[in-house]
Amino acid sequence: MKTFKTLLFVGLAGLSSFASAKTIEMDVNGLVCAFCAQGITKTMNGFPASDGVFVSLEHRIVAVHLKDGQDIADPTLRKAITDAGYKLVAIRRTDESLAQVKARVGKEKALPEVKHAHPAGHEGMADMPGMKHGG
Amino acid sequence: MKTPFALGAFALVAVACVAWTPDATAKPIAFAKGKTVMAEFGGDTMNEFQAFYAPTYWSSVGVGWTQLTSDVDGARTDYVYLRGNLLAHRWNLPGAQANVFVWGGLGNATSDDFAGSELSREAGVQFDYETRRVYASFKSDLQESAHSSHRIDTLQLGWAPYAHDYDTLATWIVVQGRTYTGDIYKGTEGALLLRLFKGGTWVEVGATTDRKLQAMVMFNF
Repeated sequence: MKTFKTLLFVGLAGLSSFASAKTIEMDVNGLVCAFCAQGITKTMNGFPASDGVFVSLEHRIVAVHLKDGQDIADPTLRKAITDAGYKLVAIRRTDESLAQVKARVGKEKALPEVKHAHPAGHEGMADMPGMKHGG
Repeated sequence: MKTPFALGAFALVAVACVAWTPDATAKPIAFAKGKTVMAEFGGDTMNEFQAFYAPTYWSSVGVGWTQLTSDVDGARTDYVYLRGNLLAHRWNLPGAQANVFVWGGLGNATSDDFAGSELSREAGVQFDYETRRVYASFKSDLQESAHSSHRIDTLQLGWAPYAHDYDTLATWIVVQGRTYTGDIYKGTEGALLLRLFKGGTWVEVGATTDRKLQAMVMFNF
């Protein structure tokens, strides 16, 4: 019984943090031009759960703001990015708004032009407040 | 006009494109479910118009018109064609992308060099590599019919003075070298171009080494 309660608590806690995620942030390889961003924006805006998309070529991220209480599953995101012709490197969920994501990445230093060690260069971001890894 | 079929088809395509709702790219495939419309005026030797629809990120189909005017004897050849493009391979790197495209098509050729019109075929390949600051591409395009054969090889090297983002204007300085077979141009035709794009709109303008205008517009939507 104690184990069941613990599992239930952990499950509900996980569910509540998942449901509260406002924005999905993805590290994507191959984003180098406005046309790339245009295609991905079009794809992401096609999801009913999507409430806005932000693409930063400089930081190689695609951020999708979610409608209240909605989400897009990781495999669906992975398929969407792959079918758009790009490589999904990582997925994170944050309770930041799209404007907050824009403001945050705007303050970050641009990623180097071609970096091969950690593709997306967001190693430390999972430790930031509000960031949850999913991919 | 000497090539009513070509011009008629060109007009038809232009009307179709306007009806489609506007946008286009230098790659034959822009993005999945995307449309590309491109028109190029190349130094009095080559004029080109193409419109493609991409059902997937690795394929597109469409129509095109290429007009070649010989710098040697002034003879003009027009190719109007249906074409399919494939992305043979793509490398998605952190901060860079490289692609190999191939294409082929069938169409109709008319020319000052022969009477009437002939079935034409087209085949081509493009290699490109780009980051947000440098760009290199090589394209080879062969068009031929029973009495004509033209291959156009184009090498472009580009440099961006600053790295653009999605919502900012991209500016590129591009150096181009182009060779033609089939007595279109002797030697290599060089050009210096200024390329600007933002969102789905691309404008390129410059001059060839013969001081002739080269310009291109492209829309992706």
